[in-house]
Amino acid sequence: MLQVENLSFNYGKTCVLKDIDLNVKKGEIISVLGPNGVGKTTLLNCLLGMIKPCFGFIKMDDMDILKMSPTHRARLIGYVPQAFPSKFPMTVFDAVLMGRKPYVRFVPSGKDLEVVSKVLMSMNLNHLGLKDFDRISGGQKQKVLIARAIAQEPGYLVLDEPSNNLDVRHQLEVMDMLKKLAQKKNIGIIMAMHSLNLASRFSDRIVMLKSGCMVCNGTPLEVMTPRIIETVYKIEVNINRINGYPYTIPLNPMPENRIHKELLN
Amino acid sequence: MNTDCLTIKNQDMKNQYKALKYRSLVLLVVFFGLLSVIVVIALCVGASSISVTDSILALIEDNGMARSIVWNLRLPRIIMALLIGIGLGTSGAVFQAVLRNPLASPFTLGIGSSAGFGAVIAIMFFNGLVNEYAVVTGAFIFTLLSSFIILGVSRYKGATAETMILTGIALMFLFSSLSSFLQYLGTKEEVHGIVFWFFGSLSKAGYREIVMSGIMILIPMPFMFRFAFDFNLMTAGDESARALGVNVPGVRMFSIALASLMTSGAICFTGVIGFIGLVAPHIARMIFGSDNLFLIPASALIGGVLVLSADTLGRTMWLPHVIPIGIVTSFIGVPFFLYLLIKKTKEYW
Amino acid sequence: MPRLLSNFKGFNTAGFFLPGLIILIIISARGTAWAGEVAQSIVIEDAFGREISVNIPVQSIVVLNSDVLEVLRSLGAQDLVKGIYSEITKDGAFFQEFLDRPRVGSWKNANAELIADLNPCIVIAYENNPGTELEKQLSPFGIQVLRLNFYKLGTIAKEIITLGKIIGREQQGETLGAWYGKKLDVIQKRLDSVKEKPLVYVESYSAFHTAGPGSGGHDMCVYAGGRNLADEFKVPYSEVTSEWVISKQPDVIFKATAWGNGFERNDRIFFNNVRDEMAARPSWNLIQAVKNNRVHVLDSGIWTGPRAVIGVVYMAKRIYPRLFNDLDPEQIHKEFLESFQRIPYQGVYISENLSGGSK
Repeated sequence: MLQVENLSFNYGKTCVLKDIDLNVKKGEIISVLGPNGVGKTTLLNCLLGMIKPCFGFIKMDDMDILKMSPTHRARLIGYVPQAFPSKFPMTVFDAVLMGRKPYVRFVPSGKDLEVVSKVLMSMNLNHLGLKDFDRISGGQKQKVLIARAIAQEPGYLVLDEPSNNLDVRHQLEVMDMLKKLAQKKNIGIIMAMHSLNLASRFSDRIVMLKSGCMVCNGTPLEVMTPRIIETVYKIEVNINRINGYPYTIPLNPMPENRIHKELLN
Repeated sequence: MNTDCLTIKNQDMKNQYKALKYRSLVLLVVFFGLLSVIVVIALCVGASSISVTDSILALIEDNGMARSIVWNLRLPRIIMALLIGIGLGTSGAVFQAVLRNPLASPFTLGIGSSAGFGAVIAIMFFNGLVNEYAVVTGAFIFTLLSSFIILGVSRYKGATAETMILTGIALMFLFSSLSSFLQYLGTKEEVHGIVFWFFGSLSKAGYREIVMSGIMILIPMPFMFRFAFDFNLMTAGDESARALGVNVPGVRMFSIALASLMTSGAICFTGVIGFIGLVAPHIARMIFGSDNLFLIPASALIGGVLVLSADTLGRTMWLPHVIPIGIVTSFIGVPFFLYLLIKKTKEYW
Repeated sequence: MPRLLSNFKGFNTAGFFLPGLIILIIISARGTAWAGEVAQSIVIEDAFGREISVNIPVQSIVVLNSDVLEVLRSLGAQDLVKGIYSEITKDGAFFQEFLDRPRVGSWKNANAELIADLNPCIVIAYENNPGTELEKQLSPFGIQVLRLNFYKLGTIAKEIITLGKIIGREQQGETLGAWYGKKLDVIQKRLDSVKEKPLVYVESYSAFHTAGPGSGGHDMCVYAGGRNLADEFKVPYSEVTSEWVISKQPDVIFKATAWGNGFERNDRIFFNNVRDEMAARPSWNLIQAVKNNRVHVLDSGIWTGPRAVIGVVYMAKRIYPRLFNDLDPEQIHKEFLESFQRIPYQGVYISENLSGGSK
């Protein structure tokens, strides 16, 4: 279990995250929602050990993540970034092979190649293997980046807005892939999300952040209520339930005076 | 049955990838062979009238004049050319990878122009035209200085590719204008000497120079291979490299320091032949792809091929004149580079 | 309204230009008026071989390089020098009396504004440095730029006579020109009897850069009776390989150095060191010249430039020790400095002669 306790992060004097408590179990998908600049990425960066929180702990099976070596941490937590800004041509296989870094001493071994081809196979990406990463579609790229994180053989995956910049079909495919990975490989997934509907359709639990504080943490049905969404996103919404999932239909930005009133309450 | 099929397909994928890498390995051997052929040719041609057989015999037996010419003049020149090519090719590949920028080269970080400034100072104030070690020392001190400044700024501001490139470009302009300023003050003789230094020349290459520049160029090599896989990760972004356990700022600063040393070892003794540092890695990348495990040795070999053939052509094409190596490298490097660029444009970037 | 505005604008430009035009006319009118007042002009040939008309006598000059300055001093025209090039400090001891003159910038990049401020009659510069922008910048001020080289042996006497004419020191010009001619003639006459001229490798300031046709070093070698190794070269200053020099087996080697100033030297240590380092180049022990200790290093003061003739005498003497046994380059140098430059002779200008014979 990945446990976040009492986590706070300040950037200079600005408080970015405050008193976050969060548990991620293996096999579970947790979405972190909230408007831009609310601290989602900061939270993910803390989990990855890229930045050190000012207070609080992050533990995995009672080991302190912040005190681990970067390599050790990389074997436990996989990361799927939003972008892959390489300016140089590179095959998909090479891109996925990067995920073996925590296990490679100098040069990737035969076993590393084995793992990579298995991962590609199991994710139905083997036809892309020797293609240039820059030449495949956005959805395929996202899948390849997930494959890279899987090649790390981690217990947990951290994803930064995996459905960004994808068309609707690829959004569904990618999320479906993540759901299956979580179940089949018993991986705990925590991801920052923008799409409320994808989050409520595919997540086991949803965490809402507002100005660095956790507003709520619960199942999609508990969290996706007009009141919470209006508080967090400052929009008026309509929530419908289809096939048991709550779907949010955004209506209007909330008028300024109402925001003001809410803040007073 | 089904799992069997999967394993086979799986093996297939792995083998295809391995085949790709074997192809690269074979190509490396081919380039090595090509380089050896050029070395032999370079040993056999020159301004003096000794025959090809005499040149080769001179390697193993004492046949008077020929032996002296081959061992004291041609061989050091060839070894120096190879060292320079290896140094500039490798450091160029490393700069491009860790700065994540296809335009990076020893010049981007101002190393070329700081070496130039050091040489100008030596020529103008320390009798560099006569005492060549003054020029070498001057160039070396200033390349070190400029890399210290870059590393210092990076330590302070964070070792991102952008910080380094911007600092490097600022230094490049600073040092080239300082050189221009000194040249402005220079006399006719000094200006002549400076212009010739910037053309680059292998005429002064002797065994002492080879030992010194060999130390600077070959000792960092194993470290470059050691970090090759990390470089791969760093080309895909600092964030994900760090998430995968790479000490990005550390690797970047360490490899920039070493690559600067290599560049310095290459240009201090011979003048600025910087174009190789940009072009050799690109040619290598078009042929070998971006995997630094192959790209680094390939850039070294291609750098060696380019510099050695340029120097051999430069000293024989228009006998008895020597066409400065900096000029010939551009003459043969640019058309080849453009050809590859046009031909492979669809798969490139 | 728009039309009115544009009319107004047109009027405005005219209003701006008209006074300018008037000023220009006045200036040019005054220019011609001066020319009318002050005697006549003569036509001379400059370094490009162009015919140029100069108003004489020239009463003030800005000097852009040491070669002209040296010639002006030998013509006794020190007080005509109104401004000098900035690098003069490098030859401070030699040109002491000029150190307090206003400086106008570098020999290859002079400051036109400073020159205009000094308002000389002419500026004298090398053929190619600074570029022709200098003429463009100075012509509005009526300042003429004269291109004379004073570093080519073949033309220096003629250029000196030309300079003498335009500064009203025709007599001195003729004398100095004749002096040059005489010194060179002495050598040429005796060389007529020489059938086989020795091969000479001439290296200019940078290592392995030889002096081919078109360079001052080549001319000196030829005047001194040497057969330049590089006499078929297409480039004045070309790089060569060590191998080529060795395979050509020169009989004599000359090297020019431009470090410090021969005028201020008291001993030959520097030149000797340069010579020894040269002789120690890899495989150079195979060269005839090195074997016979016939490597000689000359100071830039007598290398090309107005004193190239002294360099030639030194070279001739080192190439043909017996033929020119009676020539004493130091004496000639002394004569030049004391009777033309009017400064005491001092300094050391060449490496020690190890090849035997007189010094």
